[in-house]
Amino acid sequence: MAGPVISARELSLVFQTADAPVYALSKVNLEVEDGDFVSFIGPSGCGKTTLLRVIADLEQATSGSITVNGMTPQEARLKRAYGYVFQAPALYPWRTVERNVGLPLEIMGLDNASERIARNLELVNLKGFEKKYPWQLSGGMQQRVSIARALAFDPKLLLMDEPFGALDEIVRDKLNQQLLELWDRTKKTVVFVTHSIPEAVFLSSKIVVMSPRPGRIIDVIDTNLPRNRTLDIRETPEFLALAHRVREGLKAGHSYED
Amino acid sequence: MSAAPAIAARTVAREKGNAFPVTVVCLCILLAWYIAAIPMNWVITGPKIDAAGGGLANVLSFSWNDARPVIPAPHQIAAELWKSVFTVAPWSVKSLLYHGWVTLSSTLLGFVLGSLLGVALAIAIVHVKFLAKSLMPWIIASQTIPILAIAPMVIVVLGSIGFTGLVPKSLISMYLCFFPVTIGMVKGLTSPEVMQLDLMRTYHASVNQVLWKLRFPASVPFLFTSLKVAVAIALTGAIVGELPTGAIAGIGARLLQGSYYGQTVQIWAALFMGSFLAAALVWLVGVAERFTLRRMGVKP
Repeated sequence: MAGPVISARELSLVFQTADAPVYALSKVNLEVEDGDFVSFIGPSGCGKTTLLRVIADLEQATSGSITVNGMTPQEARLKRAYGYVFQAPALYPWRTVERNVGLPLEIMGLDNASERIARNLELVNLKGFEKKYPWQLSGGMQQRVSIARALAFDPKLLLMDEPFGALDEIVRDKLNQQLLELWDRTKKTVVFVTHSIPEAVFLSSKIVVMSPRPGRIIDVIDTNLPRNRTLDIRETPEFLALAHRVREGLKAGHSYED
Repeated sequence: MSAAPAIAARTVAREKGNAFPVTVVCLCILLAWYIAAIPMNWVITGPKIDAAGGGLANVLSFSWNDARPVIPAPHQIAAELWKSVFTVAPWSVKSLLYHGWVTLSSTLLGFVLGSLLGVALAIAIVHVKFLAKSLMPWIIASQTIPILAIAPMVIVVLGSIGFTGLVPKSLISMYLCFFPVTIGMVKGLTSPEVMQLDLMRTYHASVNQVLWKLRFPASVPFLFTSLKVAVAIALTGAIVGELPTGAIAGIGARLLQGSYYGQTVQIWAALFMGSFLAAALVWLVGVAERFTLRRMGVKP
């Protein structure tokens, strides 16, 4: 595709609250290229989730401009340009795994539903769990179902809002590895929100370091790690150097406060 | 799988555990009833007992067996129930089954109409913002009017334009029972989490799709809770609707006849028939609830 998948120029979002306006995003400039794995990292209140929600048209910017696939976020949403994974699985408890994954297909009226469901459940290693209800699965499995659901209609762009935040470290490592393989195999563009430095460095081709009050970008790091990496890479000097740079960036952001 | 029998055994134990307290409570109520019947009936039975020469045996036999007591003893009610259910033809006006059916038919029609109205109002209120503010006060006001005051008006007005029998009574049932359904369904239709709703937004789902694929399934537990309340008050509505019609048929008519002629045993038998009907209806809604929730894969 020609041009960036996401392009933000001087993007700001101000929430009007009772006492004082809250600057959730302040003059954000960002380009996400096709096939990138971009992580937004920062402490809570830095606007990383807000930025993701603006891209998804779940929130509207107050000034500046942003395009998704060259369109406004609203046009992109109406064209079903992205799959969104929330902080919680947000599965519908009265639907089985396969019917949860099939939900977007039903809504969009897409055919080959059963083939798409099977393919995406296989992609997240959940073959054989089609007939289970969400409560019969662990938290990690539920989140994998929600990833399969986001991929079911084959969007080119995957937006993930701290999808593994509620999971323990062991499960998280495993899912990170699987997500990376999935990204490598499907060549999708992923935008990923996290507050874990190792997670951001391990997954990303580009790390966007953000800082709160006002929410802004303070560093953009291209990682240049190989696409098909394993968890072992976390012991290498390159990895540690990147993690150090992210940590320094987060520290610098905090020094603005008070 | 050794766990399954263990769980089954525990379930049985729990059910057995329920039977004992239930029996004890029933026996206590019966005992209190029999004891209370003696002083309560004394106005009527006192002179008769004195005439018969007093004594405990006379006190008990007169207090518990009078033909027109202030409060009949439980066995008298049971006997009347037995007589008017099993010893007369079900289509005779003496049969409580006949009267029960008359009341039940208008209850069911009113319940169906009221539930549909309740769900429709809730859907409207959830989707149209100004309706929540403009309609809700009227809905609440409708339930503050004593039904006994407006039931005769409804019956008379509808009767004058040719509607008699089933329909007017059903309308009173409907009027009473739409309310809990509306309240419960507004709660239920707005119960989905923000994330579940946002998900629909990311799919660019239509209002109808959000309603039928998210809001309605999420509201089902709320619906059944409301329906249990609604079906019981639909029965009350039908009985109240039978009172001003000149008491031709139905549980309400039996109650009215009983009080005209001082037939307290008949009144109590009709009251029990009404309770059995209500219990059976609530139980049936419960069965439908368990069946539906199991079909929806709810965690048992």
